[in-house]
Amino acid sequence: MQNETTRIAFLVAIATLIFLLVPVFLILYIRSYNRHKKNHFLEKQNMQQKFESEILQTRIEVQDQTMQSIAAELHDNVGQLLSLTTLTLNSVNLNDGEKAKKKIDNSLALVNKSIKELRELAKLLHGEQLVENGIGHAIDQEINWLSKAGKYELEVNNQLIDLQITSPDKDLIILRLLQEIINNIIKHAHAKHIQINAYLDKNVLHLKVAEDGIGFDPVEMKGKKTGMGLNSIYKRMEMINGKLVLNSAPEEGTSLTIEIPYP
Amino acid sequence: MQRGSFITMRYLSPIFIAEVICFIAALNMIWKDKNAFGKVITCYLAVAFITEEAAAYLAIRGIHNLWLFNIYLVFEISTILYGLYHCLKKYINPKPIILIGLGIISLTYIFFLITQPFSNLNTVTITVMSVIFTLFCLYYYYLLLKDENFIEIHSHPEFWWITGVLFYYFGSTMSNLFDGLFSVKLIGFATVKYCIYIVLNLILYGCWLYSFICRMKQRELHF
Repeated sequence: MQNETTRIAFLVAIATLIFLLVPVFLILYIRSYNRHKKNHFLEKQNMQQKFESEILQTRIEVQDQTMQSIAAELHDNVGQLLSLTTLTLNSVNLNDGEKAKKKIDNSLALVNKSIKELRELAKLLHGEQLVENGIGHAIDQEINWLSKAGKYELEVNNQLIDLQITSPDKDLIILRLLQEIINNIIKHAHAKHIQINAYLDKNVLHLKVAEDGIGFDPVEMKGKKTGMGLNSIYKRMEMINGKLVLNSAPEEGTSLTIEIPYP
Repeated sequence: MQRGSFITMRYLSPIFIAEVICFIAALNMIWKDKNAFGKVITCYLAVAFITEEAAAYLAIRGIHNLWLFNIYLVFEISTILYGLYHCLKKYINPKPIILIGLGIISLTYIFFLITQPFSNLNTVTITVMSVIFTLFCLYYYYLLLKDENFIEIHSHPEFWWITGVLFYYFGSTMSNLFDGLFSVKLIGFATVKYCIYIVLNLILYGCWLYSFICRMKQRELHF
């Protein structure tokens, strides 16, 4: 009987030890699982930080582009108009009343035109904030500025003007993308005809820009580090889960199609 | 001389020493906590070591002391359930499950009161209580794993408090189930069951002590 009790006691002691091992393994499992969760969380946080820094960079680029446009406008347009006004007013001869009146009228017209140009400039300065009013308005503003150059035959179909939904971060990236595309067209394409299509279909925003310029070899361009900002365009598209299709060949123009889940 | 050392050993048992250390630590580290949890646990630890000493006093005088543990059981049930409630409420509304647990344990206790004399040890309630506490602890771990946010386990007071409870009640399952079937004495008055309980208590109070340290550090960081 004593032997039996000793055996039970021994078994209970062993079983208790085994029972104590279960929580130990449980803690080890939780520790390892928690570590994975922590790594995942930190990774997510890191990605979020990268995204935010990219958005900041985009905002700076948009501002920079706006400033460049304003500087060019001031120098090429308003500056010229005001110089001409100064010249006209300087040449006024008050003894010759009729001619003087004509010159003053001309100067007035030039000043009025300058005022109009400055108003347009103010709108452009406002362009970056236009994103807050919706991507449709921002695209419209960019196209207006492009049309002012008068160099291109534009065919525009912007269905995003009345868009009720917004996505501030994506809007900013799309605007910067369009600015970059327009910049490239102005600097490199030598195009005459530009076609711009923007619309939303089944929660996907489509933006298509096609021109009949000199074109280029996309494979060769992608290899170059200075590839007209293409690398940064691809990187940003990837960040917002967008799709970019670039079709171009030397002497055959370029077409760029962007599809972004929206909002 | 031998009797003197026996009495000293009885009064200064490892469980009592662990309880006193834990009580002093709780008094210094968590008593000032804004929530009631710190105060409840400190009071419970005071009740625990007073009971331990009173039981030792009765045992030395050859007076039956199991009724004292049956009274202490009420404090134990309410405190541990409150602690589990405090830990679980960070993830869910634990009121319904805690009330169900309390209901089952209370029914078992009433059943014991009706069927057995109060001088017997309430083994049924202790066993049922251990199973329910273990289930709640495992449920806490499940919620912890399911939660999107991660916690720093090595410095999380609730986690270590729950871990102590799990070790103690899960570890004592075998002793509870086979209670009365083995009373082999290892050294002097110390039976195998008593030795197992010493180990379990040391683990429990060790975990709790660490949990109090974590809580104190957490509070210092907040200020």
